[in-house]
Amino acid sequence: MKNNLLPLGTRDEFGRRAVAKQKIISVIQRHLNQRGFSVISTPLLEKQEVFDQYQLGNYQMYRFLDSEGDTIVLRPDMTLPIARFLSSTNIPLPQKFFYVGDIFRISRRLSGSYNQLTQAGIELIGYDSMKAELECLTIISQLSQELLKKSIEIELGIADFAPTLLKFLTTDKRLQDQIAQALYDKNIPEYSKLIQQYSDLPQYQLLKKWPRLFGDPTTVFAELNKFDLSFELESKIADLKKIITWIKKIMPEQNVSVDLSSRAPQSYYTGLTFRGFYQDGNDYLFSGGRYDKLLANFQDQTEPAVGMGIDVDMIADLIVPVDKSKKVMIYFDKDQWQEAEAKLKELPDGMLSLSETKADAQIEAKNSNATLLDLTGDDKLE
Amino acid sequence: MNKNRIKIALTKGRVEKQVVPLLERAGINCDQIRQKKRRLIFDSVQPYEFILAKGPDVTTFLERGAADIGIVGSDILVEHHSTQYELLDLKTGQCQFVLASTKDFDPDEPKRKIIGTKYPNITKKYFDSLGQDVEIIKIEGSVELAPLTGLADAIVDITETGTTIKENNLKIYNYLDKVSTRLVVNRMSLKQHPEEIYSLVDKLEGAIKNENLSKEY
Repeated sequence: MKNNLLPLGTRDEFGRRAVAKQKIISVIQRHLNQRGFSVISTPLLEKQEVFDQYQLGNYQMYRFLDSEGDTIVLRPDMTLPIARFLSSTNIPLPQKFFYVGDIFRISRRLSGSYNQLTQAGIELIGYDSMKAELECLTIISQLSQELLKKSIEIELGIADFAPTLLKFLTTDKRLQDQIAQALYDKNIPEYSKLIQQYSDLPQYQLLKKWPRLFGDPTTVFAELNKFDLSFELESKIADLKKIITWIKKIMPEQNVSVDLSSRAPQSYYTGLTFRGFYQDGNDYLFSGGRYDKLLANFQDQTEPAVGMGIDVDMIADLIVPVDKSKKVMIYFDKDQWQEAEAKLKELPDGMLSLSETKADAQIEAKNSNATLLDLTGDDKLE
Repeated sequence: MNKNRIKIALTKGRVEKQVVPLLERAGINCDQIRQKKRRLIFDSVQPYEFILAKGPDVTTFLERGAADIGIVGSDILVEHHSTQYELLDLKTGQCQFVLASTKDFDPDEPKRKIIGTKYPNITKKYFDSLGQDVEIIKIEGSVELAPLTGLADAIVDITETGTTIKENNLKIYNYLDKVSTRLVVNRMSLKQHPEEIYSLVDKLEGAIKNENLSKEY
């Protein structure tokens, strides 16, 4: 068997893509450092139990056995390792963290998807004020402007909108789950069949419209206004409206929509959810929300938390890096090293040629599309 | 490629033949597809762009966002664990999964059965629901041959009328999920082009209802 083949679903990153990703990561790091976030880095390997409550969807995890016979996984997510870290240390809260790293998810074989993905993100742990959500939204808006030069659409939702509405419809937990599932998957043939039994109820019109309750906030709220909602739902909607009013005031240029028919990104979400997408993208670029029960998997005491992930690979696909100015390759003798170093510092796009002869240096410069600067003869560009 | 045009991946063959008249009743001019010869891409079916592909590939195009809408049988959606939005049952291509075998087959015989099928995931799901572990053999076509040649004890396959099964001296032992052609939408595309997509869905839904009404009278 050949020894130079990659495992399925992986890739080497080189050239424009590698440059784009490096730039995106440095923009994110600078932005979050400026905001005073603390960097956190957790291992690629975790015990499988850390991800017990993680919903993998159509993916699988890479699994190994360690020498003790425990199952070790390559992390499929960055948030639960941070929750594990917080529950096992006495870090005083509240805290603001950010991370950048790779996650691993095995997708369907031969589907053209990659299994190693770069994700950045933030976790605001110990904050129960809505200000935590607002800082996340500000970051999405500012980062997308800086990285993509265009505004993305921020889509807001309520993690438990569907369960809250459904529990007033029926006490049958299994039926609630079935309806929610069909709604989230927008499996309309199945959904229509399930809600048929409520066709005599006044809420039936709302149930019928529910799968389409997303898009422009004014339109969606106008639709909702036609129906009597429970006090609990009304208060959730009121919070959502507050946030939209705030966005319109603080970031008037920001496009914002709502979606009351989608599944929360993970089962541990408890409050507002927010995602950001771009008109040309194949998936969400930003995804997050409030998850006050995040730590419950690891300890008795819960902590309020808001966080989000940023899909670095997806942003890299959308960014066309600007062609940088041409490199200058410095050719020199070994005894001219100090002189060459001085030139290297002076030239912003300089690099040392390590070729032994000038002929080799010319080939080296040609391969790198660089101009050759020869320090051994006349000090001029060739 | 114009990113703003809605791209529809249509399953070629039988689904295409059944769905083109429905698209036309919904007001979409399909002359180009009808006179396709060997072409696979049709860009003057305003405001859409159609591509013709095999069923399983329609799900791949959709999952990867290379198509916004897919028109494909629910058998393929279930078998390939599609995670995209299933917005409409087009009520064409209606058939059903069945468990079939030779007349001497005993479904209750206490043994680990060997089942031949083109649909291993659906077969596994069905026997899982019965609490039975079976050996599945993947067969690409003429599945009826499997029990006749002794390759398998029984088959799980789709049938419209049951004729092929009867003609091959096989008997139907159980009826499984029903199958029909569905309109499926990429999750992100629905957020990016809701008006265009729902306008097509509503037109098609209207055309399906009208046809059902005219059948009744």
